[in-house]
Amino acid sequence: MSVTLTLYTTPTVPLEAEVITPDRLAGLSEAEIAALPVQYGNERAALGDFFRVAGSGNGEVRLEGDLSRVKLIGAGMTDGRILIEGNVGMHLGALMRGGEIVVEGDVGDWVGAEMIGGRIVIKGNAGHMVGAAYRGSVIGMQGGEIIVHGNAGNEVGHAMRRGLIAIAEDSGDFTGVNMRAGTIVVLGRLGLRTGAGMRRGTIVSMHDAPLLPTFGYACTYSPTFLRVYLRYLRQMGLPIEDAHINGRYRRWSGDAVELNRGEILLLFR
Amino acid sequence: MNERARIVENATCTFCGCVCDDITLTVENNRITRAENACSLGKAWFAEHTIEERPYALIDGREASTDEAVEVAAQLLVNARFPVIYGLSDTTCEAQREAVAIADLIGANIDTTTSVCHGPSGIAFQGVGESTATLGEIKNRADLVIYWGGNPAESHPRHFTRYTIIPKGMFVPNGRKDRTVVLVDVRRTPSARAADIFIQVKPGKDFEVLWALRALVKGHPVDPAIEEETGVSLATLQDLVERMKSCRFGVLFFGMGLTMTRGRHFNSGALLALATDLNEYTHFVAKPVRGHGNVTGADNVLSWQTGFPFAVNFSRGYPRFNPGEFTTVDLLARGEADAALIIAADPAANFPRPAIEHLRKIPVIVLDPKPTLTADLARVVFTTATYGINTGGTVYRMDDVPITLRPAFPSPYPSDKEVLRAIKERVRSLVALESIPQPVPHLLNTGTMPGAAS
Repeated sequence: MSVTLTLYTTPTVPLEAEVITPDRLAGLSEAEIAALPVQYGNERAALGDFFRVAGSGNGEVRLEGDLSRVKLIGAGMTDGRILIEGNVGMHLGALMRGGEIVVEGDVGDWVGAEMIGGRIVIKGNAGHMVGAAYRGSVIGMQGGEIIVHGNAGNEVGHAMRRGLIAIAEDSGDFTGVNMRAGTIVVLGRLGLRTGAGMRRGTIVSMHDAPLLPTFGYACTYSPTFLRVYLRYLRQMGLPIEDAHINGRYRRWSGDAVELNRGEILLLFR
Repeated sequence: MNERARIVENATCTFCGCVCDDITLTVENNRITRAENACSLGKAWFAEHTIEERPYALIDGREASTDEAVEVAAQLLVNARFPVIYGLSDTTCEAQREAVAIADLIGANIDTTTSVCHGPSGIAFQGVGESTATLGEIKNRADLVIYWGGNPAESHPRHFTRYTIIPKGMFVPNGRKDRTVVLVDVRRTPSARAADIFIQVKPGKDFEVLWALRALVKGHPVDPAIEEETGVSLATLQDLVERMKSCRFGVLFFGMGLTMTRGRHFNSGALLALATDLNEYTHFVAKPVRGHGNVTGADNVLSWQTGFPFAVNFSRGYPRFNPGEFTTVDLLARGEADAALIIAADPAANFPRPAIEHLRKIPVIVLDPKPTLTADLARVVFTTATYGINTGGTVYRMDDVPITLRPAFPSPYPSDKEVLRAIKERVRSLVALESIPQPVPHLLNTGTMPGAAS
């Protein structure tokens, strides 16, 4: 049996609930879970002040209600699953190391920021800074997967070093900015200034995109690894067409002002 | 001039970030009748300042004493769960310190007008670094002066004459003749007249131009198609790169045309990175041209007291920095704050509509020498003395040089510092000090992971 947390008091100011992780709830009774501390603005409060708790923690946590003002859910989790029925606030799964988070609605900014492992699946849209580095931090996401079925905002994968981010629709400006390595697949359109300052890594899009003057055309080819990635993403439920898997891609290398070992692959139609 | 006229030597103008401290004021009957050395903006700033008959304070629109208003303000702040303190760029460093102390005591979010002007540059400094200099150094050494995305001729009239273009310096003995001046902007402004070279960039293409310049400086080829995209020919860029690489001391000044257009902190970052790249060849620095009189002081005070220049949150008892999350305009637009203390700023005049709508719903406390739109929607309004004219203290010039104010004549109203200190003392007595900070380690970037050990 999993534990279900149902929001019954809508927070009027941000609620920081980093206790909501399968790790933290494991083995606790309903009363113990309800007594866990959360930060409500500048006050300490109990999880039970906001959520009705049903069931006990055995590795799966279900969340119900409008959580758009609840921050830090699943931050740093290492194992288990979190299933979120609606929308959810900032820093979802930030720094997570393992396990899975599935969101049926939209998520706020910094989803999976600086994550190390695990998987986040978002059925709706994601905000800015998906899998990004926090300000002042040199490295973003270091592993794991973030799969967004809708759109994503700016700075997707900012300074990421490893891992996979897939966006089924469009991404905003500066996708893969300062990327160290890793893979970003955008099935829709890329915003402006994709890959600015990238050193290594791969950014893929199924549409043409405006590129910076520091990216040079290399060749048109069918990268083998991409077929493997795209088949995997199809399994994950993204709308990958056969034309994507079998298609040829124009490869642009950059960013020349940095290491110049990154690549942007644009489907050649 | 009548016999009661008084002369104030070396007065400081706090109208803009130039903070000119060589003004000679003539004061007659609590009115400044002459402001020698001041620019047109400074002259207006001094001349228009008089002591108006206004209530010391208003509580819910009713006249009140400062003490009564302090009590109400302290109660509102202490009872708030997510109070936000905002403004601070047109007041002294001493007042800014009191505001940080209040934020610390009540677990508030503190942010300055930097977040809507050069906040992106603050993010870029952290990400890219800053190759910097004082205006004095620039005056004495710079032989290539580039302004990017600003119109100092109208916004900072004495920037040219006092620091950058006209004055004779130690290593530029002939002043203007020894310098090359370049203006880069999306339209031809009156500043273009002062420049040897004007480069017009298509709106929103600054980043692309800066990036192409970086590529050329590093010796990478750039496609001539850049002209079609940005409006600047490859030849123009190559010429500019040659000038930048061959000058003895170059400076890039940048304004809000860069920081507040699409790309924001990456635009600032690209310019800062260009200055860094150029240090392979010569000495090159970059400086933001700051607007408000003491906005630079606000950055400095917040940095030395909290570790971060703006967008600082004390909810958990210790400072956290996250622009986008803790910047006032964003958190108001999301409807998050439940009280606001606004000091020497008018967000109701310049914030987007959702943010102003939220301000209308929450208790707002305003400190301002003048009536403002924000004061109109506030629960508590304090009339305070004008810094630099009526009160002394310290302000920072845009190049982070602290300057002492010499007030011209007294005001019957208290200073921002006095009001904020009174609020702080009252808040201190109301707040029980037993709360212990509960850190979220990952936002401190300590490398420790949250959750795992808990």
